[in-house]
Amino acid sequence: MHWITWFQWTKALLLTAVMVVCWTVGPVAQEPEATDAAGTGEENPFTTRFDRRMGERIFLRQCSRCHGQDARGNDETGAPDLTTGRFANASTLTGVFNVIRNGVRGTAMLPVAPSTPDEEIWQLVSYVDSLSGSPADFDVAGSAPSGRQIYAGKGDCASCHMIDSDGNRLGPDLSRVAERRRPSELRSDLVTPNAEVNPRWWTVQVTRADGSTLEGLRMGEDTFTLRLMDQDENLWSFLKSEIRSYERNEESTMPSYEQTLTAGEIDDLVAYLFSLRKDSIRSSVRPSDIRRNQ
Amino acid sequence: MKQLALIVVLFASAQLVIGQEPSADGMAPAFSPVTWERLVNAADEPENWLMYSGTLDSQRYSGLDQINNRNTSGLELKWAYQIPEIDRAETVPLVVDGVMFITEAPSNLMAVDAVTGRPYWRYEHELPEDLRICCGRNNRGVAILGETLYMSTLEAHLVGIDARTGNLMWDREVADYRAGYSKTAAPLIVKDQVITGIAGGEFGIRGFIDSYNAETGEREWRADTIPGPDHPDNRTWAGDSWRTGGSASWITGSYDADLDMVYWGTGNPGPDWNGDVRMGDNLYSDSALALNGNTGELEWYFQFTPHDVHDWDAIQVPILADLEFDGEMRKVMMWANRNAFYYTLDRETGEFLIGKPFAKQTWAEGLDENGRPIRIPNTSPTEDGVVVSPSVGGATNWWSPAYSPRTELFYVNAYDSEQKFFKRDEDYVEGERFTGGGGENILPQDAYHSAIRAIDPRTGDIRWEFPLQPRATAGLLTTAGDLVFSGGVDGYFFALDAVSGQELWHIQLGGRVHAAPMSFSVNGQQYVTIAAGNVVYTFGLKN
Repeated sequence: MHWITWFQWTKALLLTAVMVVCWTVGPVAQEPEATDAAGTGEENPFTTRFDRRMGERIFLRQCSRCHGQDARGNDETGAPDLTTGRFANASTLTGVFNVIRNGVRGTAMLPVAPSTPDEEIWQLVSYVDSLSGSPADFDVAGSAPSGRQIYAGKGDCASCHMIDSDGNRLGPDLSRVAERRRPSELRSDLVTPNAEVNPRWWTVQVTRADGSTLEGLRMGEDTFTLRLMDQDENLWSFLKSEIRSYERNEESTMPSYEQTLTAGEIDDLVAYLFSLRKDSIRSSVRPSDIRRNQ
Repeated sequence: MKQLALIVVLFASAQLVIGQEPSADGMAPAFSPVTWERLVNAADEPENWLMYSGTLDSQRYSGLDQINNRNTSGLELKWAYQIPEIDRAETVPLVVDGVMFITEAPSNLMAVDAVTGRPYWRYEHELPEDLRICCGRNNRGVAILGETLYMSTLEAHLVGIDARTGNLMWDREVADYRAGYSKTAAPLIVKDQVITGIAGGEFGIRGFIDSYNAETGEREWRADTIPGPDHPDNRTWAGDSWRTGGSASWITGSYDADLDMVYWGTGNPGPDWNGDVRMGDNLYSDSALALNGNTGELEWYFQFTPHDVHDWDAIQVPILADLEFDGEMRKVMMWANRNAFYYTLDRETGEFLIGKPFAKQTWAEGLDENGRPIRIPNTSPTEDGVVVSPSVGGATNWWSPAYSPRTELFYVNAYDSEQKFFKRDEDYVEGERFTGGGGENILPQDAYHSAIRAIDPRTGDIRWEFPLQPRATAGLLTTAGDLVFSGGVDGYFFALDAVSGQELWHIQLGGRVHAAPMSFSVNGQQYVTIAAGNVVYTFGLKN
């Protein structure tokens, strides 16, 4: 029922980082002022395979301590995921250059040494850019229009998921899923949904003080509280001290589609999902087509 | 008559010690000079919090009991101080006779009235723009002697600041920040010296512990945490690897006035994850050091993790206590290490007494009779990565543990974690990171958990635990009211019963808690203070 993704999890971290920065630094610091070479708006002159390799070496040495060896971020250091193609403090690659050059005030992201040549920073930008990949980098075998039909029909995906406000709330919003998931990962999500489950989509069963039970998706949990959404999309909040017990299920609520869809249909669905980006044009699934599960 | 004279003399000397002259209306001025005698006997004036860990033995135990395990429901917020410079607050304030001193990121210092949170003065330290720091722009606290506050700054300086005005008295370079040295920890006063460590273990520095003359700021001695080539222990480093071997000293130590020994922990050997270039035990990285309180000479050492390849710094505050052990009183040191083992050592000799895991670990079968870990094969980082518990961040870290002489239990914030560790080849370049690898998370943070654990220091057994979700990285405070205070990254500040571990009170502060709580009192009212997010909160009972 749910596509639960590692990227969802890291996206949550990224968004949190954005929120923290917005909250703490205010709008002024969200986009550092352009300086030096970047200030001219010129494009990255260092984009060869060699440059990316050099960038990777710099990354591993200077950046991986906080951002992780795989660049997927680290909640402990507050370092955001750099593999999604979306950045907390930059909307362009020039912006990424500026973040590396100037740092992000009020965070552990310090500026590089002033003596660092622009060339090295651009190489780093090339490497970071390569981590997300552009859509053209991926071969997608299936047909997106066919996949859209499967999404709305045989797959019944909208009974849980939402795209552009259409659908339901019992799985991740897929409106921009292609920005955080590669085709191979989308396929894995469909076939082996338990491989990577974002804690947001774990399930918790609560036994209240009177013995009655309630199950729902785990929207939030901390030392003292629990917040859930039940099957009817109702929101619930519990103090752990006031319930009898609770049980956490870290598996996905989404079934595997390996048996219910053919290999070709999965290809098509992957192609459709991989078309879902901020700027993609979507005309087909309208609110009226979807039966809301109220 | 003789008795009366004695009383007069005693009263007069008490005034000298406390140093406050009540005025005609019975009010005393805030703040009085902090003598070395006051620091040695800090436990006798629980209304003040005179150093980073409260007392020289670093028990983080407040003798105040107005707030206790029967009345925590009456706690309320008294005031909040917003730190204007945005960063992660890891500060433990000091309180001296009603004045609170709060350090702020990156290297600033604030004096406020401890009852209202309103400012007396603020010191802003100018920093260069090309700092080399591994893990955030933090400052964890100050030390005080006389009328001077001593603070570490990020560019690896030590400054003396006038406690009444915030004026800069002196500013000394401890090491060259361009080579990767930095400073974040509160210094420790020992007699007329300011003892201070150094950070930079991820930049191939060579660590040390320094002593500075409190009055002049001149350096009196330096204890290298990696011995030079004239010392036999230098041979525990292959070739010239000792020159860039790290072994930083980036948290505050402790002191025993009777033994005249300074105790300090040391950090990981460098490069962190590639041990191939530094074969040997790498002394004195990841160790507890006992230094002579006058000269800084090494009295003994105990290395927790020989030839560490996981970045498990022994950067924990050493807690000192006198305990009955197998029928005899021992002067012990208690230490829950980042490597997931808890240790009790004899602090006169460094003898290993007991050691047991206090959190999940998969790297050692156990400890041998001398406390040396018995390693499990194939747990060192590889090019492809190997999964090991605990994680890089460790089973605990620099977050202060605490001890209560009432329960005779040691309390620590523990993390059951794992991580995939990688190594890679890396050449040393001055001022650049020198880590030789890295770590990758296996599961989301929510899949792991932390807990406050109460450990019996005689056996290493865990007496109780209080689970925390998703995790916690805060220090602890114990009190004579049989309370344990701490917080979590979920933004809660809470009080537990020190005997049972039962939760008694909590409040959501809306910001991650990385600091440690402290307690003080003014005019008979007890307060508890914690930094959360970017705010310093102070609580007390409803009046």
